[in-house]
Amino acid sequence: MRVVIAEDQALLRQGLALLFEDGGHEVVASLGDAERLLPTIATHRPDLVVLDVRMPPTFTDEGTRVARAIKAEHPDLGVLILSQHIETSHAVELVSLGGFGYLLKDRVLEVGDFLDAAARVAHGGSALDPQVVARLVSSADGDTPLPELSGREREVLELMAEGLTNAGIARRLYLSERTVEAHVRHVLMKLELADGEDGHRRVLAVLAYLGAAQH
Amino acid sequence: MIAAAAAALATFAVVLSVLAGSHGDPWWQYVLALSAVGASVGVGLLIAVRRPGHAIGWLLLANGAIMAGAGVAQGYAQYAIQERPGALPGAEWAVLWDQAAWPLLFGLLTAIALVFPDGNLSTPRLRRVAIGAVAAFALLLLLGFFDSEPFEAPYQNVERPLPSLPGWFAALWPVAFLGVLGSIVASAIAMRGRFRNATGVERLQLRWLTYTAFLVPLTLLICLAGAIATHSSDELDIFNALFFFMLGAIPASIGVAVLRYRLYEIDRLINRTLVYGVLTILLAAAYAITALVLGTALGSGSAWVTAGATLTVAVAFRPLRARVQDAVDRRFRRARFDALRRTGDFLEDLRAGRAAPELVEPLLRDVLSDPALELRFWLPESELYVDPRGRAVIDAPNDQRERTPVERAGVPLGVVLHSPVDPTQTRLLEEVVEAAGLALEIARLRVELRRQLDEVEASRARIVSAGYEERRRIERDLHDGAQQRLVSIGLALRHAQHELSPSANGTAATLDGALGEITLAIEELRELARGVRPSQLDDGLAPALRELAGRAPLAVEVSACTDRFPPHIEAAAYFIASEGLTNAVKHAAATKVTLSAKNEAGSLVVYVTDDGKGGAEPAHGSGLRGLADRVEAHGGSLLIKSARDTGTTLRAELPCAS
Repeated sequence: MRVVIAEDQALLRQGLALLFEDGGHEVVASLGDAERLLPTIATHRPDLVVLDVRMPPTFTDEGTRVARAIKAEHPDLGVLILSQHIETSHAVELVSLGGFGYLLKDRVLEVGDFLDAAARVAHGGSALDPQVVARLVSSADGDTPLPELSGREREVLELMAEGLTNAGIARRLYLSERTVEAHVRHVLMKLELADGEDGHRRVLAVLAYLGAAQH
Repeated sequence: MIAAAAAALATFAVVLSVLAGSHGDPWWQYVLALSAVGASVGVGLLIAVRRPGHAIGWLLLANGAIMAGAGVAQGYAQYAIQERPGALPGAEWAVLWDQAAWPLLFGLLTAIALVFPDGNLSTPRLRRVAIGAVAAFALLLLLGFFDSEPFEAPYQNVERPLPSLPGWFAALWPVAFLGVLGSIVASAIAMRGRFRNATGVERLQLRWLTYTAFLVPLTLLICLAGAIATHSSDELDIFNALFFFMLGAIPASIGVAVLRYRLYEIDRLINRTLVYGVLTILLAAAYAITALVLGTALGSGSAWVTAGATLTVAVAFRPLRARVQDAVDRRFRRARFDALRRTGDFLEDLRAGRAAPELVEPLLRDVLSDPALELRFWLPESELYVDPRGRAVIDAPNDQRERTPVERAGVPLGVVLHSPVDPTQTRLLEEVVEAAGLALEIARLRVELRRQLDEVEASRARIVSAGYEERRRIERDLHDGAQQRLVSIGLALRHAQHELSPSANGTAATLDGALGEITLAIEELRELARGVRPSQLDDGLAPALRELAGRAPLAVEVSACTDRFPPHIEAAAYFIASEGLTNAVKHAAATKVTLSAKNEAGSLVVYVTDDGKGGAEPAHGSGLRGLADRVEAHGGSLLIKSARDTGTTLRAELPCAS
């Protein structure tokens, strides 16, 4: 995987680069701000861009803005946004585009899960932070209680929303893929969502369900 | 001293003219002559007493005295020569005065016309006319007094008491006469010029004298023409009438200027004279009546009679004076009377709470009929002038208005800006402003208080805003500083772990433990930062409220407008909603809460509505009190509706002065 990193803090930038290199990926460029990101992408043609939400000059939402710009120009390029705090509405909106990830910064410390998520995003999948998903699920629970889901089914639903594939869910939960498939089928049935779909379209359906419940 | 001199002169003139009596002349001539003397002396006396340094008063007094003197001389000459010839001394002098002193009358009238109304010769041209006039009149008097011709009939046999000039001097008669006529005409024309250039009240003051000033040369010419036409030294009645009319008309027109158009501000003198005159009469009457009644009752000579009468007068003095003053004002100084009465009414309303002290400005504007009038209050602490609404004003340098300072008990309150007025109006302005002093003082205090309050409110708002800014800075520091550093350290540890040889299992487990601690620390920092200030506020109030709602342990519905407001207002709204929500959870036993934020006419209004037990009171518990403080610090208002068992609705309005 060829990776471009945009992060204004030098120490963190280096750490991220080492993390990807230790995982066997190639960091083709690492930048301290978002302004030179588009030309750099055009030059290096990476598979994934990892960027911080808050960057110079205003330290507010440079990351999300430039992410939209990148998506507009390179729809197939994976973009992974790292944030210091949870922000639901932008996150859900961006992730729905596909090939998009939104994770809290400290997720990088769970190296395996993080690199999985990065690879998913680079391949057109999605990655939504577990905390954002938890927020969506709990607020969906608030108004219109989710249909009777078992504890395991609920876990599966959350991992689906995070963007994991059946295989990923199986790995995370130490279950067989076959068992996970059964859980997924039950969940989709209870939510009255179409069965048999995998990948991004399933994520969209689940997020749409949760998002609709939220508002 | 001066008043005494003027009064003596006046008395002398009047006594003389009465003594002169009517000697064969028709009675109306005597009445005309007396009126002319009376007018001249009366008006002259008024002016001389009020303005001792002013020439007009003395010229009029002198004019009266000379008129009277002429009358006496004429009467004495008739009596001494015709009725008791040779028996009385100085008869020839009386005849001389009667026949030769008449230019003095015209001279004084010319002088009056030249110096009216300032009392001096204001231009070089006037000074030249004056010099010519003095020369011409002096020559005419000289020729008259030292003439070689016998006196005119019926005194042709009387010996001249003064030596005669050589005969050729008679040739100078036409020169002198034309010179006199010329200077009289010139003075009348100068008068007319002043009248044309004058404006406003001054024009009104000059008007009457300008008309009558032309009577002087006219009368002189008509009398001369009459004398030539009739070939008689006995003037016809009609000429006499004209002559006396002219003599009276000049002081009368000055009197009109003085009384009607308040020249020399003599109206106050007259006013006071009238008030005290009437007052004296009334008090004397009261004293007399009391003394009479008590004397009848107690017997005359009793000390009680005097005491009682004195007491009556003493008690009656003040109210009586106020009554008389009022009556005189009402009659003679209507404008002042109305202005002061309306000011008094306003003060009554002010005391009774029916009027606001700030209305004193429109009142002054109204009673002084000056729409351009404005008040400026002086604030000694901030050393600046403010208008009645408390705004600091710097008046344009080309402002044509006059500034009259306002003081009360020696303390400067401010200034009145008003259209330029003449001196008499200034007096009225001062009186009205003085009468309205209490209202002005209250208004100034209120303005000062309001400004101080504004200042305090502004500083409170600044402190609160600074607080929000500080929270924002701390939140940034936590996220971008400590939190990121921890992530960096974690990454370094992960890298170290990666570099370890696969056999070092123990070390890898230790590192995992450390990384777990770091993750917890990051989590805690994030919670801390969120409590300080939710970073969603960067994206607006609506995301921040939704985030807040998402964390609540009960169902919270959010309806927030997406309009953006100044950051400190949004932060305030967020914390109000947050505290309202906390209260609903903690105290109201609510199952559902609605948070809404609306833009109502430029104000950000936050509603927190719950379905709990209600009965919340701001007095109990510091939660609501703190909320109210927070709202008020932004100049907003907090409304709490919390009837028992109907839930609580909290409405906080935050005005945005942007």
